[in-house]
Amino acid sequence: MIKIYGSLVSRATRNLWALEELDLDYEHVSLDWAKQKNRSPEYLKINPAGKVPTLTDGNATLSESLGINLYLAQKYGQGGLWPDDDAGRARCVQWSFWAGAELEPLAYGRIREFLFKKEAGRDQALITDMAERTGPLLNLMTLSLAEHTYLAGETFTLADLNVACVVEYLERSNFDFSNWPKVESWYTNTYGRAANQKIQDQRAPIAAEMMKRLQG
Amino acid sequence: MITLYGNDRSRATRNVWMLKELGVEYERNMVDHTKGEAKAADFLAINPGGKVPALTDGDVVMFESLAINLYLAMTYGKGSMWPDDAAGQAACVQWTMFSATEVEPHTVGALIELIFKPEAVRDKAAAQACLDKLPPVLNVLETTLNDRNYLGGESFTAADLNVACVVNSLNMIGFDFTPYPKMTAWVQRCVARQG
Repeated sequence: MIKIYGSLVSRATRNLWALEELDLDYEHVSLDWAKQKNRSPEYLKINPAGKVPTLTDGNATLSESLGINLYLAQKYGQGGLWPDDDAGRARCVQWSFWAGAELEPLAYGRIREFLFKKEAGRDQALITDMAERTGPLLNLMTLSLAEHTYLAGETFTLADLNVACVVEYLERSNFDFSNWPKVESWYTNTYGRAANQKIQDQRAPIAAEMMKRLQG
Repeated sequence: MITLYGNDRSRATRNVWMLKELGVEYERNMVDHTKGEAKAADFLAINPGGKVPALTDGDVVMFESLAINLYLAMTYGKGSMWPDDAAGQAACVQWTMFSATEVEPHTVGALIELIFKPEAVRDKAAAQACLDKLPPVLNVLETTLNDRNYLGGESFTAADLNVACVVNSLNMIGFDFTPYPKMTAWVQRCVARQG
């Protein structure tokens, strides 16, 4: 049985979305980081760095949320999340790394300001600088989305899933997408898929409680 | 035929390493990013992001150096660079992503401020801030390598190549590797394969 470790207010939601898309049986082990559950000796055996999420699948154990999705897609998503053709697979790998290495540092840097700081304490210069550096990345997505409906071709794949889970940070921090309408409509389509909606519905009350604690 | 774009002053060198491990034929297009050639129209048709390396292979066109290596391993390295078992494949994916998101932002950040920028505009404090982020990350490698010779177990795979090429770049700035003896021996084992 596949097990995914990490709470609904962690990057584990990315993996829960992928698991739902793949229609796999899995057990969700929600670790409450506020209670340091990710520092328990049992968990550190699975992930020595104490980070979430982690996935176990038989004798395979791995961390890195976008990597977990890549692993799941290539193993269980042939012809769906993981395309049958080399060009589609190459795009899935490329966009997954692009999401992690290029977009996430900016998108996460931005949302941190919104989540962990109250409005008056936010670093507006940092937010502006990050938004400026995000623009060229969204231009690159726009070029790809001008060629095909989804990032890897005409169907929804891992490329879309992994990039959408990072664009989520921009959307949740009120990023202005008006210069990138193709990205915005792609995101709405992608993020609104039934598999993700199911996870987001579970997440909503927990996230609301967290926001109350963080923002008061 | 595979074409790899980017010269030896770019991250294309890590793709050369992978292509040699796989023993597949390829040709080089020495786009020189230091002369602005990565922003020229003919290269932008390959990678609209204007960055090297990029790779074409039939109708495959891709960028992101570590992603290229993972794709090459999955496509041409079954049973070697891309192991046959799920645990080994999981290691390849995890460590490649770890390299890209946890290690490389800090190594590149330090390299830019210490050697790539013209001396007059280098920011030593910014470089140090990057270097300060490395110990917990390198300790993950040190701990992992405590009971095995390679990141995924006993054989060299894409996991090792993709992390070693990033960690090894720290030699360009005389990084002190002494706190990480297992990791140091492993990097040397990996790099020695290039001959």
